[in-house]
Amino acid sequence: MNVKKYFSLTRAGLIETLQFRIALIVMVFGNLLYLTLIYFVWKAIFASAGTDVVNGMTFETTMIYLVLATALFNFMELYIVWDIHRDVQNGAIAIKLIKPMRYKDYMFWSVSGAFVGNFVFTFLPTFLVVLFVTKGTISIGINLLYFMIAVIIGVFINYEIDFIIGTICLFTQSIWGINIMKQSIVLLLSGATIPLAFFPEKFRAVVEWLPFKSIYDTPLTLLLNDDLAPEVIWSKLGIACLWAIAMSLFSNLFWKISVRQVTVNGG
Amino acid sequence: MERKRGLRFYVKIYFKIIAQDIKSRMSYRADFILSTLGMIATNIAGFVAFWLMFTKFPSINGWGYYEMLFLYGFSLVAITPTQCLLDNNWQLRQNVYTGDFIKYCFRPINLFFYFESEVFDLKGLGQLFFGIGTIWYSWSKLSIPFTFFALVKLIVFLITASFIMAAMQTAAAATCFWIMNSFYILDLSLKLKDYAKYPITIYNGLFKFIFTFIFPVAFIAYYPSQVILKPDNVPLLSWLSPLIGIGLFYLSYKFWMKGASKYDGSGS
Repeated sequence: MNVKKYFSLTRAGLIETLQFRIALIVMVFGNLLYLTLIYFVWKAIFASAGTDVVNGMTFETTMIYLVLATALFNFMELYIVWDIHRDVQNGAIAIKLIKPMRYKDYMFWSVSGAFVGNFVFTFLPTFLVVLFVTKGTISIGINLLYFMIAVIIGVFINYEIDFIIGTICLFTQSIWGINIMKQSIVLLLSGATIPLAFFPEKFRAVVEWLPFKSIYDTPLTLLLNDDLAPEVIWSKLGIACLWAIAMSLFSNLFWKISVRQVTVNGG
Repeated sequence: MERKRGLRFYVKIYFKIIAQDIKSRMSYRADFILSTLGMIATNIAGFVAFWLMFTKFPSINGWGYYEMLFLYGFSLVAITPTQCLLDNNWQLRQNVYTGDFIKYCFRPINLFFYFESEVFDLKGLGQLFFGIGTIWYSWSKLSIPFTFFALVKLIVFLITASFIMAAMQTAAAATCFWIMNSFYILDLSLKLKDYAKYPITIYNGLFKFIFTFIFPVAFIAYYPSQVILKPDNVPLLSWLSPLIGIGLFYLSYKFWMKGASKYDGSGS
């Protein structure tokens, strides 16, 4: 397989990201402001709770969990649904469909540069700050490796969800509503807004059966708990993998059927 | 010289313009329905998150469930006018970038008014009903007497509080006259609305100052809602919040107009 063609797309995306420096600065600034909100809200919550440990989470672990969830969200949310819509609207999709690469792969590798850029410029600094500020709460060891593997699987699942939503938009020609629905559902059910540990049991049981938790909850749980039994680790990663494969198969099939729907306005 | 037009003229013309917008919007019925559903889904997700938090933690910083709910409802209503009336701010960047903005400059009516009147975001009304429902429900659970005077106070403070969000979005949108790709600034200012639903007392001194005077999100819900929630002990800033809201909106309007006046097309 010739991987060069994929990485040239990654490179182009990375260069594009670096072009928008002000956007990057505003994003970092906005993140910091958002993190202060999370910090103070949860500090007040834990102060009112009266105990240090709630459902196995301390204030520190909750903070790390939410901060990193936000950081992960920022580097994963790339508004791919809008890109697909734009391609359909201005007809660029006609060219992209005849490229010697599947459209889905083309999109993925085009945004992969932004993944790398956002990872290095927003996720990594956040992670390092968290690591130093909370001295010792995150243990450095094999858990980092599991975390990275889980993040990569999470990126795939997230991309598959985006691509499925983008495919739905071929039919509806309407993005905003569907995309915001997706965003609020994914953020809530993946634990990015409130750690899954705080969910009531019944609610939690339902969420466990959905793919969303593999995007945020699985990597963060693997990172924060270094005393997990190997079976638990492998079952979490295995479930994430199965979801990634299942969703990939589904999105391929769905796209194949739907792409016939594409009509580009002539001109 | 430009002739000053009266308020009546503007009200009349406003309804004419938005009638066109709503008509054209209604011809894309699926889009309208999906957008409304999206709006409802976001609000439901917000409520579920709120409820999840309170099943584990019964109070936050001395604020009980229903007080927090009241604050939440207040912030929802206070951001609705911005959502409904000033939604075209999101298109400003594109208009400036492509040069289409020039068409607004050739009308003998107020430029800001004309630009914003072009879009009325119907789906924001769903949020309004959510917000009103929440305020009504939490008020009925709180032991605050319901009087005519209290209702008048609530309405006045809700309307003036809505100017804060309007001011922040208008100022953020206007940055596009100076910087390219101002989407992130507008997006950031939209995200600040999430801060409005928490009491400012949770922050330490520095951030209390920042969220009161630099990014005045505390005036979206916290300060104005004190007038209803704590009628015996209303801080001075709460009474001042209507003036602050209107003042800030005026400043943001001036900033927007200043940007527009230096606009000279995209050169094509």
